[in-house]
Amino acid sequence: MKTRFCLPLACALLVTGLQADNEVYRTWTDSQGRKLEATFRGIENGNVFLQIRNGYVYRLSLDKLSAADQQAAKTLKPEGLGIPSDPNLAQAAAQIDMLVEAGLKKAEQKPNPLASDEQFVRRVFLDLAGRIPTREEALEFINDTSLSKRAKVIDRLLESEGYRSHLFNYFADMLRMADVAQKARFYTYQDWLKKQIGENVPWNKLVYSMMTADGKLLENGATGYLLRDAGMRLDNLSLTLSTFIGANVSCAQCHDHPFADWTQRQFFEMAAFFGATETYGAKGNAGAGMQGMRKVLASLGDKKLQQQAKNLLRVNALAVEDSSTNDLKLPDDYKYPDAKPGDLVTPKLITWSDDKTKKAYQGVQTTKHDEQLREQFAKWMTSPDNPRFAMTIANRMWKHMFGIGVKEPVADLDDPNASSNPALLHHLANEMVRLKFDLKQFLRVLCNTDTYQREATSHELADNSAYLFPGPILRRMTAEQAWDSCATLVVGADVDKFKGHRGETYAKAMSIDLSGEASPDVIKGQIENAIASMRQFGGKAAGTPKNKKKRMMNQGGEEDLTLAPPVRDGMVLARASELPQPEKDQHFLRMFGQSDRQIADSESEEGSIPQVLMLMNGEAQRVIGQNDSLVVKTASAQKTPEQQVESLYLSFFSRKPKPDELASATAGLSNGMTMRDLTWVLFNTREFIFVE
Amino acid sequence: MNLHNQLDPLSRRAFCERWASAALGVTVLHGLGGSAFAAEAAKAAATSGPGFGKAKNVIFLQMIGGMTHIDTLDPKEGPTQGPKAPIKTKADFQLGGTMENLAKQADKFSIIRSMTSKTGVHAAGQYVIRTGYEERGTIKHPNIGAWAQHFLGSSHKTLPSNVCVNRQPQNGNGFFPSSFSPLPILDPDVGLQYAKSEVAPEQMNKRIAMLDQLDAGFRDRFKTSEVKSYTQFYDKTISIMSSTDLEAFHLDDEPEALKEKYGKGKFGQGCLLARRLVEKGIRYIEVAKGGWDMHNNIDDGLDEHGAELDQALAALLEDLKERGLLESTLVVLCSEFGRGPKINGNGGRDHHPKVFSTLLAGGGIKGGYIHGASDKEGMAVADKQTSPQDFLSTIGWSLGLPVDEVVMSPSNRPFTVGDKGKAVMELFA
Repeated sequence: MKTRFCLPLACALLVTGLQADNEVYRTWTDSQGRKLEATFRGIENGNVFLQIRNGYVYRLSLDKLSAADQQAAKTLKPEGLGIPSDPNLAQAAAQIDMLVEAGLKKAEQKPNPLASDEQFVRRVFLDLAGRIPTREEALEFINDTSLSKRAKVIDRLLESEGYRSHLFNYFADMLRMADVAQKARFYTYQDWLKKQIGENVPWNKLVYSMMTADGKLLENGATGYLLRDAGMRLDNLSLTLSTFIGANVSCAQCHDHPFADWTQRQFFEMAAFFGATETYGAKGNAGAGMQGMRKVLASLGDKKLQQQAKNLLRVNALAVEDSSTNDLKLPDDYKYPDAKPGDLVTPKLITWSDDKTKKAYQGVQTTKHDEQLREQFAKWMTSPDNPRFAMTIANRMWKHMFGIGVKEPVADLDDPNASSNPALLHHLANEMVRLKFDLKQFLRVLCNTDTYQREATSHELADNSAYLFPGPILRRMTAEQAWDSCATLVVGADVDKFKGHRGETYAKAMSIDLSGEASPDVIKGQIENAIASMRQFGGKAAGTPKNKKKRMMNQGGEEDLTLAPPVRDGMVLARASELPQPEKDQHFLRMFGQSDRQIADSESEEGSIPQVLMLMNGEAQRVIGQNDSLVVKTASAQKTPEQQVESLYLSFFSRKPKPDELASATAGLSNGMTMRDLTWVLFNTREFIFVE
Repeated sequence: MNLHNQLDPLSRRAFCERWASAALGVTVLHGLGGSAFAAEAAKAAATSGPGFGKAKNVIFLQMIGGMTHIDTLDPKEGPTQGPKAPIKTKADFQLGGTMENLAKQADKFSIIRSMTSKTGVHAAGQYVIRTGYEERGTIKHPNIGAWAQHFLGSSHKTLPSNVCVNRQPQNGNGFFPSSFSPLPILDPDVGLQYAKSEVAPEQMNKRIAMLDQLDAGFRDRFKTSEVKSYTQFYDKTISIMSSTDLEAFHLDDEPEALKEKYGKGKFGQGCLLARRLVEKGIRYIEVAKGGWDMHNNIDDGLDEHGAELDQALAALLEDLKERGLLESTLVVLCSEFGRGPKINGNGGRDHHPKVFSTLLAGGGIKGGYIHGASDKEGMAVADKQTSPQDFLSTIGWSLGLPVDEVVMSPSNRPFTVGDKGKAVMELFA
């Protein structure tokens, strides 16, 4: 590697003048006499890792150093958290740490100590892959002696199936993803989102697709975003603005915002960008095909059949189409002097008072073609120059990792300077832009920070005082993390294998060609086929059709978990992302706080009596403690009671028991307590459901 | 000290902190400093008047599907009448032909015959009649039980203050903490889900002792309100499991004759359970009953569902009266909307939000009184139009809630009990 003494990152403006000051610097000299002031991060495979004050990490071949420094590298104790997977990443992480530390210093606070390997591995699995590590996964990490193991496990988890599942759960809550809306199944929408996450499509492109999607829900899952609120475009817009750009406008839907700057007029001007977007029944389908359908419908004698056929048609008519005129009008009770109720509204973009450059607005000119209004809006909203778009998702992803946003609530970024650390918030927004909205890369940076890898804050957060991130906060697992972790205890890492793919099946079953080409007989045949296959989606569709159970054995007689997940005591042990969205009310997920998907970001982390009753006496504790559960099988295979207890601790908490815990638990085992009792105990601890 | 009052501020604080910790000193959920204080303040500040605070408990009977008002509470003659002829009652008004038992209790209740709502969609209508607000994608609104817990504190030292029977707990706590959410009893015969341990009490005690021991290190290290709140939920749940309070959910303790008097279906047993819970001091109980979406063959529908309602409600009113509980218990019967005057081609009636009826009894409500009227056909309101908001404000008034007091949600939006409806004062004795 060539030695360079310059800043490799373009985006370091904000951190100029900031320096990490809690490390030991010394002057290193290479064999050609060039000097570098840096801190020693470690030595591996003949390479020395040196971090300079701006955070950049140099990798130098040991034999290129002066003899004295070669000796130093062999004897010095490494600083920090091992070695990062690439120098730019290290610098990006270090810049965040410096901003956090500057914020802490100003408030005369100190960062938390660095987290232990045990704390880190459980946290990073839960945060990136959405479940606890298995005993083997935890041990593999803890016993790994390489200096780069933290960076490596982050890289590995970002490429795991669990990553897709966990991020989907986050967005499913944010976007109110429900299986059933508008009396249709929104499976294609879910599959589409999972695919975007799986392919790591940049956030700006993903959101642009949702805003501008056309066509049938069955054929284009991205239409699901607008169709979720078909016929309610004002509600939809209100959510769009708060979710993606943190504009707190919901009040302005009905009247001028009492606290912020937004007026009702502005709200309607924004809504006008969707004034030519048709989500209420596909107009284009009103042609020959639809007429043919009506005839066929009338010819169906059986009333029940007719009703089913009607439902089928409604599902096929769910589509987003552009009309040629914006028809958005001010509401009947509009009461401000600047316009009259019922006036047509001209689309106009909102601006924030701190947005001096207005770059995002350049190139967005009001078109004469109303059918392009949505594209204009989407272009403006998702532009890297939009003053809030990058900041909003950056702040959300930060919260996803640290448990609390730099600015709360995340759906209100009207005043970024009211955040706990405005410089950090602006920097994160810049990072999101620099990384071209690559969420995976952004999360990689966050996870590689010292701030993330510190111990969780153990004291009570003070009321109404800003949290300055001495480390992540202690969080209760989300419902999905808890469920996926339970399933991991029972079936291990195989829990990641099953994927529902319900969208494809559903679209295939329900699609009817309404183009007008098909003859009535052909249409009738299509309807009958579709009705026959509708049955599997009739009731509360479970993650997998039950009748597939027989087929889930492959030739070796083993369960093929990619086809169907294991079922124990009626519980389908698949990842929450592959189960009904949301689950039914009495399911573990809902009782543990899964959002009902009616309100955005409404996952709950609170306890309740019914929830605790379920944890103590419900199916989950039973299934975990049964003999066919992996955690029990693994522990039972150990020879001594001490080893058995240790095995359970590693499975539940990713750590070994402390001496007093080991003594208590083994004493319990010899005093009439069973393995099942112990799994019950560990499952019901606070330590299990909280993420350190 | 009331354990619930200890819990709620904690979980509430967790709730507020998440959003407020970075915001600058904005006060949320006004009055949440402590339920007990809030109760004091509410009592002191509210203007009293006839019926104010008479009800200590509410039994909210929700008919799901749109109960036909014409065949039950607001009978008509002529072409509107339908399959059953109206019958006389103990009071000077008539009821629908299926309401034979209720007719004998007519001196105990009032009927509002001038209800009107804006929506003819089931879920949206149910949401409005429970919360007073239209359903939005941006906020959830609380039901009266949650409002009452906010203003008056918890009603019981271990059991929840808010229970719903025969339905899921949606439209419950709204923007209040989830500890205000109704405890669901999906089947009155089964009672509280998961209340029973799978192992013998002795084994359970061993488990609990070990749990306390092995989790001590974590609890010592993390003294945050979230962890403490969970520990308190465990303490409370364990005390419920071993206490006699759970007997409130044991219908088996009721005499067989009384069970039969209420009707052995889920609704009859649900009403009986509601009475037991009232006796135990649980403030707000909703009992749901489906089957009212009678688009087809309303004659048969009434024979089944009308009769079930009639039997259960009559038994409930009589039972409460005999036990001296009716004065302090407000019983209301409502539905998301009514059904139209016209019998359709399938012998049924279709959705009709324009006018419908509700029934109120106990809690300071007059007996034998009819408030407002529909027109001759039962098509529209003829007199004293009453909205779901007015209806809910009436319930709030009877419970002694400050119905005019504005409460800011965590998202800083202003809300009141029954969305600025006016309590119907003529209903109170």
